[in-house]
Amino acid sequence: MIEVVTGDSRPIFRQIVDGLRMKIATGELPPGTRLPSVRGLALQLTVNFNTVAKAYGELTSEGLIESRKGVGVFVSPPRQRLSEEERERRLGEALQHFTSAVASLGFSPDELLQRAAEALEPLRRGPADNE
Amino acid sequence: MSEPAIETRGLSKSFGNKPALRDLTLQIPRGGVHAVIGSNGAGKSTLFRILLGLLGPTRGRSRVLGFDSQSLPPEARGRIALVHEEHTLPRWMSVDRLTRMQRRLFPGWMEGTYREVLGHFNVDPEQRVGELSRGERAGLNLALALAQSPDLLILDEPTLGLDVVAKQAFLEALLFTGVEEGRTTIYCSHQMDEIERVAENLIVLERGEVINVSPPEELASRISAWVAQLPADAPCLRARIPGLLQQREIDGQVHLVVLDEPAGFADHLASQGVVGLQRLHIGFDRAVNAFLSRNHTSPAQGDPS
Repeated sequence: MIEVVTGDSRPIFRQIVDGLRMKIATGELPPGTRLPSVRGLALQLTVNFNTVAKAYGELTSEGLIESRKGVGVFVSPPRQRLSEEERERRLGEALQHFTSAVASLGFSPDELLQRAAEALEPLRRGPADNE
Repeated sequence: MSEPAIETRGLSKSFGNKPALRDLTLQIPRGGVHAVIGSNGAGKSTLFRILLGLLGPTRGRSRVLGFDSQSLPPEARGRIALVHEEHTLPRWMSVDRLTRMQRRLFPGWMEGTYREVLGHFNVDPEQRVGELSRGERAGLNLALALAQSPDLLILDEPTLGLDVVAKQAFLEALLFTGVEEGRTTIYCSHQMDEIERVAENLIVLERGEVINVSPPEELASRISAWVAQLPADAPCLRARIPGLLQQREIDGQVHLVVLDEPAGFADHLASQGVVGLQRLHIGFDRAVNAFLSRNHTSPAQGDPS
């Protein structure tokens, strides 16, 4: 379902959060989808289950997933999951990361816009529209 | 059960006038997987020999599972299992016979766990230990250790020399067998990819001292890598960068790995005529290896210590 690699610049729990967040955003994991249990995903990925628990904890606090006692972990129904300011703040942070990462690569802003638009294409098909 | 799994206070050990441990104070809580790493000679094996009561400290004290490690009662000893890189088992004995012997030795023997772990490895019970592959022997050793249902499991380079498949089986068995029993696992290894996967706490020893106790990703996040152009008239940096872990000059560029990106880092470099500073991606393995080697690869002008 998702993959983690060792030796990446992102810690494993971050790779899990990013991977699942992307799949939820693109609709590959629609609302109501049951996710593997913490131990199940830890086993799939061969990582310490506390790492998965931490990742699930973060996604839960963002309102992207929810655990139903005794049943399992599910993708939450879409709704305004974060406050307006928090969304703004995170967008700003992400754009700053992106900008500093590409600043020295020698692409023109137009080329970058074009590529960013392509990279965002999967989000069009996702449930992110129903805001 | 509330006492830490391992606790040392001011633990020192010298061999002749050579210190192996210096005033080492460490607390490892119960439960979870704790990696202990350090370059050769950092004091790992001395520490474990003291913790297991095989060696006496010069000064200080150490407690294991609540008992003084220098006078571990037999019942405490029976709750500690050790898996060693050399996987020392009687080679002439059949797996089956060895199993029967161990079963009698440990009152809390857990047959289900034993079978579950061995199941990861395709070990034939009729085979002699000496005929097993390295991976199978490692698996057998782990199975024997976990079946004792230990409160403290110490693994010393357990996957050394194992191929990818055996390594995977080993990690799976380690991570997912009997963890709900609250076992504390100490994982000594140089394999950073394994540590990244299994450890929730990273203890780093250097020259007999503890220099880090934190979640692994926390240490890695403090470490950053950079590349910049050296000035044409200077083939290397003139002044040492604070927080420097690693510095290499290659083809007119300087590659740096630093800890806690020091205040004024960019200015410090700029003042030495360095331009075009860029941050590089650095993975856990490289970051932590740089941290481990920080006093071994000092630049020419590095401080003598």
